[in-house]
Amino acid sequence: MTSMTAEAAAVSHDHDPHATNTGISNTKLAMWLFLSTECLLFGGLISTYLLYKTRGNGQVLPTDIFDIMFTSVSSFVLLASSLTMVLALSAAVRGDMHRTRVWLMVTALLGAVFIGGQVYEFTSFYYEGLGYTTNPAASAFYTLTGFHGIHVSLGLLMLMSLFVAAGQGKLTAKNHETIEIVGLYWHFVDVVWIFIFTVIYLIPAE
Amino acid sequence: MAITEEPLALTSGETFAERPLGVLTRPQPKGTWRDWLSSVDHKKIGIMYGVAAMFFFLVGGAEALLIRTQLAFPDQGFLSAEVYNQIFTMHGVTMIFLFVMPLAAAFANYLIPLQIGARDVAFPRLNALSFWVWLSGAIFLNTSWIVGGGGADCGWFCYAPNSGVTFSPTNGVDFYAIGLLIAGIASLVSAVNLIVTVLNMRAPGMTLFRMPVLTWMLLVTQFLLAFALPVITVALFLLIFDRLFDSQFFDPAAGADPLLWQHLFWIFGHPEVYIIILPSFGIISEVIPAFSRKPIFGYTFMVFSGIAIGFMGWGVWAHHMFVSGIGPISVAAFSLATMFIAVPTGVKILNWLATMWGGQLRFTTAMLFAVGTVAMFTIGGLSGVTHSLAPADTQQTDTYYIVAHFHYVIFGGGVLGLFAGIYFWWPKVFGHFLNEKRGRLHFWSMLVGFNLTFGPMHVLGLQGMSRRIDTYSAGFGFEFWNLVSTIGSYLLGLSVLYFLYNVWRSKKEAVNLPAPGPDPWDARSLEWSVPSPTPEHNFDVIPVIESQDDWWFRKYSIEDDGSVVRVASVEEAAQKGDATGVHLPSPSFWPLVLAVGLPLIGYGLIFNLWLCVIGGLLTGGAMYAWALEPVDDPDAGHGHDDHGHDDHGDDDHGDDGHGDDDDPVAVAADSEGEA
Amino acid sequence: MKPVSEMSKHPRRYLFGLVLLLGLLLSGCASDAELNTLDPKGETARQIDDLLDPVLAIAGVILVLVVGGVVYMSLRSRVSNYDSDEFPAQTTHNNTLEIGWTIGPAIIMVIVAVLTITTHLVVNDTKANAVEVSVDGATTSWEPKVVVVGQQWWWEFRYYFSEDVDAEMLGDPNNLPPADIVTAGQMIIPAGEEVELIVTSRDVIHSFWIPALNGKRDARPGYFAKWKLSADDPGVYFGQCTEFCGLSHSRMRMQVVAMDDAGFQQWIDEQREVPALPEANEDDAVSRGAVAFAGNCTSCHLVEGVNSDSYSGAAVESGAAPNLTHFASRSTFAGGILNTYNPDGSFNRDDLSEWLRNPEVVKANAANNLPDGVLPRGMPNLGLNERTISDLVAYLETLGSKPSAEVLAATEVE
Repeated sequence: MTSMTAEAAAVSHDHDPHATNTGISNTKLAMWLFLSTECLLFGGLISTYLLYKTRGNGQVLPTDIFDIMFTSVSSFVLLASSLTMVLALSAAVRGDMHRTRVWLMVTALLGAVFIGGQVYEFTSFYYEGLGYTTNPAASAFYTLTGFHGIHVSLGLLMLMSLFVAAGQGKLTAKNHETIEIVGLYWHFVDVVWIFIFTVIYLIPAE
Repeated sequence: MAITEEPLALTSGETFAERPLGVLTRPQPKGTWRDWLSSVDHKKIGIMYGVAAMFFFLVGGAEALLIRTQLAFPDQGFLSAEVYNQIFTMHGVTMIFLFVMPLAAAFANYLIPLQIGARDVAFPRLNALSFWVWLSGAIFLNTSWIVGGGGADCGWFCYAPNSGVTFSPTNGVDFYAIGLLIAGIASLVSAVNLIVTVLNMRAPGMTLFRMPVLTWMLLVTQFLLAFALPVITVALFLLIFDRLFDSQFFDPAAGADPLLWQHLFWIFGHPEVYIIILPSFGIISEVIPAFSRKPIFGYTFMVFSGIAIGFMGWGVWAHHMFVSGIGPISVAAFSLATMFIAVPTGVKILNWLATMWGGQLRFTTAMLFAVGTVAMFTIGGLSGVTHSLAPADTQQTDTYYIVAHFHYVIFGGGVLGLFAGIYFWWPKVFGHFLNEKRGRLHFWSMLVGFNLTFGPMHVLGLQGMSRRIDTYSAGFGFEFWNLVSTIGSYLLGLSVLYFLYNVWRSKKEAVNLPAPGPDPWDARSLEWSVPSPTPEHNFDVIPVIESQDDWWFRKYSIEDDGSVVRVASVEEAAQKGDATGVHLPSPSFWPLVLAVGLPLIGYGLIFNLWLCVIGGLLTGGAMYAWALEPVDDPDAGHGHDDHGHDDHGDDDHGDDGHGDDDDPVAVAADSEGEA
Repeated sequence: MKPVSEMSKHPRRYLFGLVLLLGLLLSGCASDAELNTLDPKGETARQIDDLLDPVLAIAGVILVLVVGGVVYMSLRSRVSNYDSDEFPAQTTHNNTLEIGWTIGPAIIMVIVAVLTITTHLVVNDTKANAVEVSVDGATTSWEPKVVVVGQQWWWEFRYYFSEDVDAEMLGDPNNLPPADIVTAGQMIIPAGEEVELIVTSRDVIHSFWIPALNGKRDARPGYFAKWKLSADDPGVYFGQCTEFCGLSHSRMRMQVVAMDDAGFQQWIDEQREVPALPEANEDDAVSRGAVAFAGNCTSCHLVEGVNSDSYSGAAVESGAAPNLTHFASRSTFAGGILNTYNPDGSFNRDDLSEWLRNPEVVKANAANNLPDGVLPRGMPNLGLNERTISDLVAYLETLGSKPSAEVLAATEVE
């Protein structure tokens, strides 16, 4: 209690800006927390799909018409983008901002391929008679995969923002943590897809 | 610079004009109402939460009085069934989402940084965003009275399929779903922000187990919010998709299961109960020690019982569904789980009593409310135990016995506790006391009014009066107690008005009264070590914490024989609040602009998609501007360059906290060198 | 600060409030309450009450101890200010004590849990005994079982005497197989027998609740929930829908009428009769009423012998309206809220006329003046003229035989 002296009131700026109680920066901790809440969001959506996946109301079910090969490939593409994300970060840590930009772009492109695949899948499902309002199974399928698709798309926006920022020289090795944090989000979206892919495409319908 | 007072000018003489801010500049405080709109100060935001919450308390209270007026006598037509259903729905929604939660958020915002020794929350702009988004959701929800064809008429629980377009064809339910989604974004952002604040920004030496019980309870609350809100988010999305886009989530004719809504709703809804009650538990855990002149009894048990309640709150949701037909085994399991929540709750009650035991009890208004909370919550808790007996619950559920129970919990345990907090921290926040004499009358009229209103509902429920009925017939034995309850509700209403009168008069009288000083109650936690009202920068110097109740131990020490000896007067020990050169995050208008966009998107979904475009542009533009807004930290050595990208505005959660660079942790860490 | 003498009044006032509150709780046993949950008249309701009573007693003791402790300390340890340098003992914790009052309540809860689970198992157990009933002269063995269908805002009761009723046999709640007896608003059961209920709904979730006989069970669309009840003695037992179900939730009521064996058999016989269609006669109100009925009511309501061939459910969202074949045999109508007979035993022409004249005034509904695409729910206002109303009332009075005087007396709640 002796430390509360007038001398101490002098404000010094030579501190470590990232000194936090946990040692994890605020932004990164916030991202971890946000992602943990996202688990509940996807948990709710996945549970909804599991409850409804066989409720076709006499109409076609998503599990009747999906093309497992096609989706496996696009899933692989999405998972590969996690690898390129890691490469982008490691390049940034090394201070190689050129490589960072390349890998960020590759990551975004892989993500875009996945989204393109999803658009194709939705379109072909629609022409095979599976609309959003066809039955509970369809509503649950489109809502779950759609929410995931929106998450991937937002990830693309973040990646492109990083790409631009790195191009303008605003993103340097010093603040590579920003890439790490976007990477956390990106990996999360990939991991969620592993669950979704398993639930929809791999677990056989009863 | 967010500092209005002259002495807080920058020591170095730097000005912002020297900084190349580009087209976007951040607003400067001008000492006008604009400061409030752009404030990122956790204290201002806390006050705004409190004021807005009290406004909606009056709205929800007016709705309650309409309900009670309709039910004063049998077979009344004061309100039509249609209007009555809207009123009771909006009463519940308003009181929970627009009153109790934001009032608790007011305490959380104002007090958490002060109690852990920080200068602000982790993300001040996000904090402002939370408030404005919540307010825009709250206003959106209530505009349904004007443009939505009336309020939602499905009950706050909004069970499917009664919430579908077929059975609720007006837009009320759309407003309910979208309004709660918007408010949910606010609470989620706020929860993440406050958790990071508590975990990361504690003053040196402020270990987790030295934090005040209030901060602990608020932390548990924020975790509950963070994990409960995504679940209701899913439910609300499914509902809104069903209503607006004809999806098939809740239409039994298409093979959907209405129980899906019930599960999702109550997985959120039960933790929600603890979200409402735990802040109050925290508050009285500060008030009772202060006015018993003793430390809280069994700090560790208090903290862990709060955590236990938080955890167990996740395993009991289906006790709201004992008669839904979830199967006897589920019923038995949830019945047992529910019973054992009584154990940590009982620990808390007994520890409060033990804190009082042998103490010197000083019955200020705050203490009266705190002790009233213990007693009233005990009644609500005990009736709660009777619901956990699943067979008995089949008689009680959806009767007025339940209405009595949860009002004893939420009002008796929650709101009375929040009033204890209002009286307790009022001098800290506003620099003057609320009049104690009027406060006592407020307390007693509220306590009597409350018991007269809700006590008879136990009887009515056991006599078989159903909930949510717009009227009842004579001859079932309901007449007398309904009239008593209505009279009680008017008294309760008057007591609230009297409180507002007390606020107004106390403010007027304050000029002639001595200022309260930093620590008027001889209390124990850090916020009492700074002047009242709290200076904008909170702490001149971040204190170094050496023990639990560190502030108290700066005033007193305990000798070997157990006696208490004063070591310093409050004036000696307290900070002066006159530090200069403390840099704080600058104000910003973008949180407000962003928040305004969201209800426009909501109106657009309901009425005209073009409004969505406008709202989307506003929100998106605000995010972009936010991200590009310069960090005005005059100290470029922070290493906090704005990286200029924008990842805010995730579809459902609004913001993930990333990219906010107003990082006062830098400030909080200032004094570490002195530690 | 108030002087001490003045302040000490408050705790006493508080004590007074507590005593008042306890008084309130105890007076829950008032005898005029037809829906009283603490006055069981059937086996299951009694088992529930037997579980609740001791727990209420335990809760009462705890309440008195806690609130008594608060009041005691408030009186004993109160000071008006902290001028004194004399501090109380700064006790921070006492692990033994705290572990004690963690385990203590836990033990109480274990006891409560054992009581609860025991009762839970008992009340979820079914043990219906078959009774002999005669349907159209053929004696059959019937395990008392009634299909209960909730709809906005009335209850339908369906009896299948000869078939084994289960979810599979019933199929779609909106299109249930023809039953031996279909009635509405009042369920008739044999007294002293456990009756199994199969509860479902045609629209939103309702909840079936006869407090004197058992707790409640939600009626959920698309699902057949099992429930049971039994009445010790013949009588009329009141109920109310308890799951919020929209506009007229408050006016969705029902009664269970328990009869002795002979009465129940007589009721079956009467319900199996198809009322004769009155001969065409312009001078006879009943005859005119039958014609008016066929013209105005038969798109929703069914009367056996009038529109049994053409009836295919109604064009309202709920899918059907009450079967009126034996309208006059029920002592209440309009969703259990109006008495069919006056206290003197005469037909309640006034209320029935008003119901036909202004149904939306008697009971809120969503059946008239609806925007396009919104489906009607509830009894519509057909704009009937007074003569037609009077004729319809005359006709409806002839449908079914008047209930016994005991039933009529028990229906009066005033």
